[in-house]
Amino acid sequence: MIPTGAFGLDAGDPTPLIAHARDTLSRGDLARAANSLVAAMGGAGISRLMVRSDDPFHILRAIDAASRTGADLFIAHTNLPEAHIDAVVKKFGVQMIVSADDKLTGETPSDAATACIFMMTSGTTGAPKIASHSLNALMSRAKAAMHPGNRGAKWLMTYQPTGFAGVQVQLTAVVGRGVVVAPEERTPAGFLEAAKANGVTQISATPTFWRAFLMVVRPGDLNLRQITLGGEAADQSTLDRIRKAFPDARVTHIYASTEAGVVFSVHDGREGFPAEWLNTETQGVTMRVHDGFLHIRTPNAMGGYVSDTAQPRLDDGWLATADRVEIRGDRAFIVGRDDSTINVAGSKVYPLMVEQFLLKQPGVVEAHVFGVANPISGQLVAADVVIEPGLDPAETRSAILAACRENLAQYQVPRAFKVVDAIAVRESGKKG
Amino acid sequence: MTEAQVLEQITSIVQRMLEDKGVKAATIEPNTELLGGAISIDSLDLAMLVRELEDVVGHDPFAEGFIEFRTVGELAKLYAK
Repeated sequence: MIPTGAFGLDAGDPTPLIAHARDTLSRGDLARAANSLVAAMGGAGISRLMVRSDDPFHILRAIDAASRTGADLFIAHTNLPEAHIDAVVKKFGVQMIVSADDKLTGETPSDAATACIFMMTSGTTGAPKIASHSLNALMSRAKAAMHPGNRGAKWLMTYQPTGFAGVQVQLTAVVGRGVVVAPEERTPAGFLEAAKANGVTQISATPTFWRAFLMVVRPGDLNLRQITLGGEAADQSTLDRIRKAFPDARVTHIYASTEAGVVFSVHDGREGFPAEWLNTETQGVTMRVHDGFLHIRTPNAMGGYVSDTAQPRLDDGWLATADRVEIRGDRAFIVGRDDSTINVAGSKVYPLMVEQFLLKQPGVVEAHVFGVANPISGQLVAADVVIEPGLDPAETRSAILAACRENLAQYQVPRAFKVVDAIAVRESGKKG
Repeated sequence: MTEAQVLEQITSIVQRMLEDKGVKAATIEPNTELLGGAISIDSLDLAMLVRELEDVVGHDPFAEGFIEFRTVGELAKLYAK
């Protein structure tokens, strides 16, 4: 008898769960695939595995199998460089890699499994940051977010499926007996086609996604019940345009982080959040403004980083964010981050990592990476580089850009890229 | 800049983006939808296009808030004066 695990799936359940362009898989299909994986893991004595795929079927199959066996699961982005994957596999002794073609690695776990889910940030240089979560905590977040309108819902997979928000959407579909719709092509037109073909009812995405999506969707294309914006601060004009395009949908914008989970959800269609939510506990979470920054206290904080820490937890139990808050009248607004990270459509880019990557490219002698503002994606990555004298600027530029596209996530690739004679250095010694 | 001149600028910026990405040049008409799939640009390329147009044309039609546009021609109209 195989334990049912956190998902509690039934191998005979024909309810659809994952809709691809080619096929639709049921909860029973997933249960049976996970049964086979559990059997294969048992046969090979596996307690630590990794999933590396953008297909929700493989991700959920691996999560279910890990939950039933108490194994550790690493969820890795498909665009992480091989060298980083190899390093993680060796360091932690990951024994099996789950994808369209499951493979044994021949490694042995470095220590005992603790039934954790490890999620990895996309590092560009250096090792990716690895955050540990308990599946129970992730599932309770999904259950807490469940309300009658979400049951049996059809979710469009807009987020990177291996990221925190993407995994959360998949778990929500499992918990609420809903369907995850995976588009064939991750472009606005591809998302729209998948959404129309499957009658998607909920879309959770970044404001940047919405601004692009509103350029392709036409009135009557979709009958959305729930629209959620997260990852970046939602601005009033985007909220208004969404309301106009989908007058019948409930529109919610949320503030969430990997470290703290969902901190607040706003349903009134106005940017920001009610200032009266500060300093009082709402659904177990308390927020305060400290020296202009948002601090959070929550019982749902993640387990911690296996590598290094990103968001410092203060001695008194509060998480200090780098998000600045401004209070105007009865409303509080998130007005930006006070660090050098560039927020590209809700994804954080560390300029230093991109600079280090550029500096490793042949012919590059100096690089400066910075964010530029625009009305579509909030910010974009821009790079100025100095190349060795005597090289052909056009050819070198193409070669560097090709290397960027091959090794960086699409949001990390410098979209404004200039070959310059020199990069100014300020008196502080800092570039720019 | 006239609408025709802005169109020319859009075409040249988009063609350079496609060249940078290593994809083949596209036919760009006023009624081509920017994110409709006919040209291989993503929303971040579009963000960059808008940013570059502001530099080339010299004004930002989005300064007061976002304005709806879907096609190359609609975008050109926003920048034309």
